[in-house]
Amino acid sequence: MIAPYIFLMVFCGFLPLVLAVTEIGKPSWVNLHGSYTTIYKVLTDFRVVPALWHALFLLLCFVPLMIVVVLAISLLLDATAVRGNTFIRLIFLLPGIVPGAIAVFIWNALLSPHVKWQAGNIGWLIGGILFSSSVGSWIVIQYGSLRSISPEVLEAARVDGCNRLELAIQIKLPMISKYIGYMTILLVAGVIQIFVEPNLLTGTGLTTDWSLNQVSYSYAFRNGDFAGGTALALDMLIPSILLAIIFIRRTDFLKKSERT
Amino acid sequence: MTFFDAKKNGWIIKVTLWMMTFVVMLPFLWLIKQAGPNYIGNARTLFHAQDGLVLVWLKNSAIFTISSLLISVLSSIIGGFVLAVLYIPFRKTLLVITLITMLIPITAMAMPLYVLIDKVHLHDSILGLILASSYYPFGAFLSYLYFSSALPADLVGMGRMDGLGDWAIFWHLGVPLSKSLWAIVSFFSFINLWNSYQLPKVLLDSPTHSTLPIGLELLFGNGGAVVGVLMLMPALALYLVSQRAIERGIFSGAVTG
Repeated sequence: MIAPYIFLMVFCGFLPLVLAVTEIGKPSWVNLHGSYTTIYKVLTDFRVVPALWHALFLLLCFVPLMIVVVLAISLLLDATAVRGNTFIRLIFLLPGIVPGAIAVFIWNALLSPHVKWQAGNIGWLIGGILFSSSVGSWIVIQYGSLRSISPEVLEAARVDGCNRLELAIQIKLPMISKYIGYMTILLVAGVIQIFVEPNLLTGTGLTTDWSLNQVSYSYAFRNGDFAGGTALALDMLIPSILLAIIFIRRTDFLKKSERT
Repeated sequence: MTFFDAKKNGWIIKVTLWMMTFVVMLPFLWLIKQAGPNYIGNARTLFHAQDGLVLVWLKNSAIFTISSLLISVLSSIIGGFVLAVLYIPFRKTLLVITLITMLIPITAMAMPLYVLIDKVHLHDSILGLILASSYYPFGAFLSYLYFSSALPADLVGMGRMDGLGDWAIFWHLGVPLSKSLWAIVSFFSFINLWNSYQLPKVLLDSPTHSTLPIGLELLFGNGGAVVGVLMLMPALALYLVSQRAIERGIFSGAVTG
């Protein structure tokens, strides 16, 4: 029953991963003799340190903001019957479903006469685009996960005297905690791997090799150094994998459906 | 805390939501204004550019998106169902691989995928692109999360006692309880495929095999409000159809807490 999925997983996921890992051992510009030390040697590249700071900036400013906004709006939508609810979610979703190029086009055209982009503030523009294009999809998903809480549970809590805020914090959030964990892991990975937004802004001359993924791309496709590029790409995985391990250890993230 | 009372002050929530929505909406009103005022004329120019090559790309994109959508949605939802509900060996390993392969940057995967697709002689063909794009770990893991909370083991046990096999449990219990999941997974899979950029760029060479996002980029660069509006249309339609499934009661969990 699961065979088609496993076939696709092996062919499109696992095998390429194995090939990528074997690729790292080959000679690279940062490691001419070729060995797995490329994995950390590539981190000494002069472009990596600023890119790391950029990633940290997005991680600390935008990831928490995105999580809070997504949960707040989903909970508000779920709190009462709002007419035009589907439309509201659609509007938040729009920036996420326009192709990245169009999103940058809009932002640039809207802001460019008023704001002058410099190395110091371009991070806010990238974060802003990322924010606007990510929250909508997660609002749709989290609203869906909130809707899957059975009405009887909510009614019981209401009968027990829960007000809206208590209902949201004590009942709803714990019930969708798995989805929140999933969202956190993916948002963190997305921020570290950000590529499209800074890449489309290279016209400003400020965002060439701005993100780690751009540096990795430069290695692989501009210098033809696949070993270095892949090594850096796998380095980018470390924070999300650590986060995933924490979630798996601390919560029932990977547990099967249970008896109630 | 009467302010948060479950029966009162609903209007504050509504006003807050609508205000935020209005702010988010502004850029799109601008985009729509930018695409006009001669909407039909602009669209016609677009379709006639390059001797109608745009129509070929549209056809390629449609074939690719629809085929990959069917394969990815079916395989990932069934996969997630099995991982959440049935006993299979290496269940956790499969989940971990799903999670890891979802997180790997496409930069690292594009080249190996190219090599593999080339090995099976599907390079520069829509079929190869379909094969390479149909793995949808995001959908599978979301389905796993959904079924592991919305389909309690009790219910599966009852189904077993009634003599249902795996497929029958999926069909009679899993599918009716997961309408919103189908809506969400199909919608996001569609967006992914329709806007798919890096894989088609690596896997397809000839202009006549290209898909819409790649081709349009060649023609227009970053700009083009008409292009933006056009690319949005199918996604909007699918959103409105799929959102009908997300109504409380139709799909909510079978058993209470």
